[in-house]
Amino acid sequence: MKYSVLVIIVFLTSCGGGKTNDPNAFQVPVEYYKLPNGLKVVLSQDATAPTVCVATYYNIGFRIEPRDRTGFAHLFEHMMFQGSENLGKNEFAKLVQQNGGVFNGSTRFDFTNYFEVMPAHKLETALWAEADRMKGLAITQDNLTNQQGVVKNEVRVNVLNQPYGGFPWLDMPQYANKNWFNAHNFYGDLKDLDSAKLEDVDKFFKTFYAPNNAVLAVVGDFETAEAKKWVEQYFGPLAQSELPGKPDISEPKQEQEQVHHKSDTLASKPAIAVAYKMPDRNTADYYAMGLIDQLLVQGQDSKLFQKLTQEKGYTGQVSGGINYLGNMYNYNGPMVWMADLIYDANVSPDSIVNVFDQSIAELNSITQEDVDMAIIKLRSDLYSYIGGNGFGRADLLASFALFDDDPSRINSLEGEFKKITLDQIKKTAAEYLKPANRTILIVDPKKTTTTL
Amino acid sequence: MKSFSQVFVAALTLLATVAYAQKQTPPAGGKPKDFKLPEKKLNTLPNGLKTTMVQYGAIPKVTIQLILKTGNVHEAENEVWLADLTGDLLKEGGTTTMDFKTISKKVAGMGGDINVGVGSDQTFITGSVLSEFAPHLIKLMADMIQNPKFPESEIGRLKDDLKRNLSVQKDVPQAKAQEKFLGTIYANHAYGRYFPTEKMLDSYTVDMVKAFYEKNFGAKRTVVYVVGKFDEGATGKAIEDSFKGWKEGPEISYPPVEQIKTNKVAIIDRPNAPQTTVIIGLPTLTPKAEDVVSLQVTNAILGGSFSSRITTNLREDKGFTYSPFSTIQNNKGVSIWYEQADVTSANTGESLQEIAKEINKLQKEAPSETELNGIKNYMSGLFVLQNSSPGGIIGQLNFIDQNELNESYLTNRVQNIHSVTPDQVSKMAREHFKYEDMTVVLVGDKKLLDKQMKAHEEAKKLK
Repeated sequence: MKYSVLVIIVFLTSCGGGKTNDPNAFQVPVEYYKLPNGLKVVLSQDATAPTVCVATYYNIGFRIEPRDRTGFAHLFEHMMFQGSENLGKNEFAKLVQQNGGVFNGSTRFDFTNYFEVMPAHKLETALWAEADRMKGLAITQDNLTNQQGVVKNEVRVNVLNQPYGGFPWLDMPQYANKNWFNAHNFYGDLKDLDSAKLEDVDKFFKTFYAPNNAVLAVVGDFETAEAKKWVEQYFGPLAQSELPGKPDISEPKQEQEQVHHKSDTLASKPAIAVAYKMPDRNTADYYAMGLIDQLLVQGQDSKLFQKLTQEKGYTGQVSGGINYLGNMYNYNGPMVWMADLIYDANVSPDSIVNVFDQSIAELNSITQEDVDMAIIKLRSDLYSYIGGNGFGRADLLASFALFDDDPSRINSLEGEFKKITLDQIKKTAAEYLKPANRTILIVDPKKTTTTL
Repeated sequence: MKSFSQVFVAALTLLATVAYAQKQTPPAGGKPKDFKLPEKKLNTLPNGLKTTMVQYGAIPKVTIQLILKTGNVHEAENEVWLADLTGDLLKEGGTTTMDFKTISKKVAGMGGDINVGVGSDQTFITGSVLSEFAPHLIKLMADMIQNPKFPESEIGRLKDDLKRNLSVQKDVPQAKAQEKFLGTIYANHAYGRYFPTEKMLDSYTVDMVKAFYEKNFGAKRTVVYVVGKFDEGATGKAIEDSFKGWKEGPEISYPPVEQIKTNKVAIIDRPNAPQTTVIIGLPTLTPKAEDVVSLQVTNAILGGSFSSRITTNLREDKGFTYSPFSTIQNNKGVSIWYEQADVTSANTGESLQEIAKEINKLQKEAPSETELNGIKNYMSGLFVLQNSSPGGIIGQLNFIDQNELNESYLTNRVQNIHSVTPDQVSKMAREHFKYEDMTVVLVGDKKLLDKQMKAHEEAKKLK
């Protein structure tokens, strides 16, 4: 086998952006390069624990799954554990566990990911296994039928047999958005799941699962030279595929407030979610929304938490954020900022919406001190995410490589938030947090029978 | 005919060899890196409060947790969730000098929140902030726990929150199943009182909260954990300064508990439910038992890991369920083992039978060395992961403290896992996993379930 010289683009951490004057600021080491077959590789050392996280991100999310196959991107994620050329059914999971590791996979708006956290000395094993299934699958009809059963049971346990099942994470995109790619049922209609065929699996794999549509992130305790050698050895020979053009996933501009009701026969208390369409990713408005999210709904000092729980007593808990299926960094398309709560029937939805309006209006009178506090919370959250077992850091590095071709963005985030002025926050709030840009979804509890 | 079959066998062998030769064997990996449990610094103040500090990690954050040896276990029969209300009012009622809004702002300025969590045996006050604020967070937490205001003004709203939570939880099938399962095994004990009634919640007053606090909170029942990156001198001093004046409070004391062993089946009707929530299990060995590691290994083989036998059977073979698992749940001095799964309604009886079959198989036949070694490696790897985050480290240290285990439970853990033999696993399955002795709770469509109970009766007779 011949390998051509690797095309290497290295971002030395000292050259990265995001320099802060804070002596406690934490810089993530980032080494980024591409294999000749197009695979993007990000390495980040962290010797805190003798473990390593290997994460493979494919540029295929549920947004762009086939139209007559809702839920297929997620069903397919399950198929990636069902057998490849060298590992039969159940063998991938066994391989990881018998080597002392844990694994998972997930399907999100704009990617599907697979990751293992292994003892550090098992890095080669994990890289081999990820390369093995990137090369090809060996799925039988039995495997497919089995996982159709598993996925339908997943939908039942998380949505169909659960009060507030799918609210608001699965529901809101369907109510807020107009473009099918953003507005369909990502978990899938059970009948669509049932109609998936082996040839669909084959076609989906051939279309989207290729090195030139993927990122490999390795975070943890490893030797760089060794890691690179194995990456080249196992991923280097994999063939590229011809990728289809990206469909138009843009959303038309929303001009009018939308209010929807959903009845829930398993719930006995009403719930409400309020969602506003987000500005485009990586713009000044986007970073401003990150700060607004902190001010409005993150943490016990946030405006919505204080007003809704402490002052009004409408609820004990308010959830909220940008991208309920991840975080504000790991998506690449239309998105909403949202908050939701469960409340009592004697409270009117209007009075809750009024609290949103009032909190948003108060953004007009925030001070620099408030913004500084939001930045501290954001930084603290970010540190927790990129510490941990390596997965959080791999998630950001892989997302930034996948969507922006620039994983070193992980070190310039704080700098971007710090550029946002008070005026920018007010301007963003005025433009995006207005009624015409929002969707309200109310759960009407319709529980008819009482279980004892 | 003989020659034909020989040819056939030869051809098959050849095919198998070819297929085998084409399959790559996964690379085995290198030599394990050293793993040492992170070093800890222990201290006890004159009033009995214990502290544990561990420097860990590279991220400039610190996790501080106050763990008190009190919780729902200290509630009387008509006081279910009073411990939760006490925790809520402790947090959101503020201190004698600072209201909750002020506290929230202060902690936000450190990059975090303070949360109060109430469990059946312990109460947790937790905060995770940027490193430089460790001493400040200690002072704030110390103030909260020693000088709670317990204001009348907040209790109505917090009781409403509990009532709302109660209503929501009672609609969740998994919570209903837990209520029934624990209520059966721990009948007449706080561990079995999963839900209060609305009327009970209505009856709670600030005076009852104050009395619960006086009776159960104090230095002797408290351990302060600090894990992460922090200034040890300043943080240690802050702990000493801000906790030394706290009352000693009550001694550590847990009421006696008895477990009820019954193989009763309880069906809770959830008309038209597409799935049945199944919990099946029984009392088991506590962490203090000599062969508890054998029990843990047996659990991991049976249902406690993704590659386990029950999970492989019910999920990867049959497709009956998405997230089956088994676990050992420990309370003070007592433990239970159970398998839980949400299975397709029509396959509930069959699922129970398959669980019985897997148990029976392990009872009759020791696992292979390969399977056992795989599970041992998994558990050893998991142990490293569990000790590789501030929250995980606190969890491990609290586990040995709460269960009064020796340090060697952690230091010899990997060695102890690896010394379990196949026969021990099989013996464990025979002695502590008797299907016919298990309590069964099913939350699902009763009319469908009644018809399937014959399968369970047959499974009980499996030999």
